[in-house]
Amino acid sequence: MKFLRVAIVALMVLAIIGPLVWVAMNSVKTNTELFGSPWSPPKVLAWDNFSRGWNEIGARSFVNSMIATVATLVFLLPIGAMAAYIFAKFPFPGRGTVYALFLGGMMFPNFLVAIPLVLLYRDLGLLNTMHGLVLAYVAYSLSFTIFVLTGFFQAIPDELREAAEIDGGSPSRTFWTVMFPLVRPGLVVVGIFNAIGLWNEYPLAMVLLSGENSTLPLGIASMAMAQNYRADWTGLFAATLIAMVPVLIVYLKFREQLQEAMVAGAVKG
Amino acid sequence: MRRRTLPFILGFLAPAAMLYVGLVLWPLIQTFRLSLFTTSGLSSKVNYVGAKNFERLAADEAYRQTLSNGLWMLVVSGVFLIAGGVALAHLSVGNQRTARALRATILIPQVMSLVVVAILWMFLFNPSFGPVDAIVRLMKIEPPRSGWLGDPGTALPSVTAAFIWYALGFYALLFTAGLRQIPEEIGEAAELDGARGWFRFRKITWPLLWSVKRIAVTYVVINVMNVFALVQIMTTGGPDRSSESLLTYLYEQGFRNSQFGYAAAIAVANFLLAMILSLGVLFWFRRSPEVGRR
Repeated sequence: MKFLRVAIVALMVLAIIGPLVWVAMNSVKTNTELFGSPWSPPKVLAWDNFSRGWNEIGARSFVNSMIATVATLVFLLPIGAMAAYIFAKFPFPGRGTVYALFLGGMMFPNFLVAIPLVLLYRDLGLLNTMHGLVLAYVAYSLSFTIFVLTGFFQAIPDELREAAEIDGGSPSRTFWTVMFPLVRPGLVVVGIFNAIGLWNEYPLAMVLLSGENSTLPLGIASMAMAQNYRADWTGLFAATLIAMVPVLIVYLKFREQLQEAMVAGAVKG
Repeated sequence: MRRRTLPFILGFLAPAAMLYVGLVLWPLIQTFRLSLFTTSGLSSKVNYVGAKNFERLAADEAYRQTLSNGLWMLVVSGVFLIAGGVALAHLSVGNQRTARALRATILIPQVMSLVVVAILWMFLFNPSFGPVDAIVRLMKIEPPRSGWLGDPGTALPSVTAAFIWYALGFYALLFTAGLRQIPEEIGEAAELDGARGWFRFRKITWPLLWSVKRIAVTYVVINVMNVFALVQIMTTGGPDRSSESLLTYLYEQGFRNSQFGYAAAIAVANFLLAMILSLGVLFWFRRSPEVGRR
């Protein structure tokens, strides 16, 4: 029984880590070595794969992905927290319906609304702009953010708010000085989770951006699809590694918060 | 008090509400409206055509193919993800070295971009240097001549394999949370009664995971209907639409062929399908085991 358990776990770990190690190994091989001996470790380190991969996806898309991720969070977290605070602490007629409408966004694929969104963006002149992409990212991340933060605000005792208001704070002052700092753990959880999702996002960026404005996933996707007529496999291995490393670092550092976000979104949702 | 808080409530909801209504709900409504029109190319001219788009959709062989692909993927990945998720959840609770190793690695695919997952699996299935061919040859099986992703018989299973590799960690996490929710007294009582191993799993654990199973099945439905990047990058739906997914077909009609009205009709059909399937899942799992099972 113990043997079986060790065997299954070893197989799983290998199935996950194995391909990643293999990608890392091949990212420093020459094309001839890749095709000649794809299994053995590289004999000479062909570091120029990385400069080719980096040039191919473009420093611009790396920077764009950074901007899109950070700018979205800067707007998303306060806006989401404000709404979540209301849903958690201020009963008003029709609150249940409004809350349900907000959460509905978690249930259907964003792609179902892509066509009218693109038409709307065309009319507003937001197509192919980074601020347009950020607006859409904020809008489509709100459901999950509000849902998780509402839970965090509900956990704060009502007395705390009442005490702050008796001390003479207006409701919004109470929020910014007392409540918002109090839900910091929640902001970290949704912040990390959203950051990874935004960094990786592909379909929305694909329909809202084109040409010179691209993000990292768009860059490596087009590089991968170009392999059919212009094979630079080792460059693609290197580019894949470049895209993978930042999220792996975040994963290693924030594994627990990520798990919390995933379980919160799943089990209660 | 009330009069003072109402402006506050509205003011705090306003930014989120404006963005959400303007960029999510409004386009969603527009999808329904647009499905009754045809558009010509990139111009903004639209013609009302009633249910024509839906009549065309009902007769569309390619759409039928995407539905059957989706159903195949739903069943196959559903079985693997739920059985695998439950098994891995059992292996990942506790404090043994194996459990900790599993917990540390199992969610790695989840944090990777689906674009990266797609490319990774293109590497793995590559006919010249990919390990899948090598492993299969060791078992004395000849890999498909046009490659795993180029053969109509293996393209969809190959994409499904990549999908399962990506999604499994999430389901393991889901069932781990489910196992933690089972009250300890039940485990102790089962222990006293001598219920162990497979018998205990079948009679106690599996029925008690009822609500988590319902969530898991709902998620499989949503996730499979959401498959886009994997198919788009690995096979672009081919060969011969053998791996076409609902969303890659929608993308092709809407953005490659600029048939916005028709693509909106596909979106509406997909939306209704998702609703029906989710309601079906709710109905299927409506009874809690505590009330007595079947």
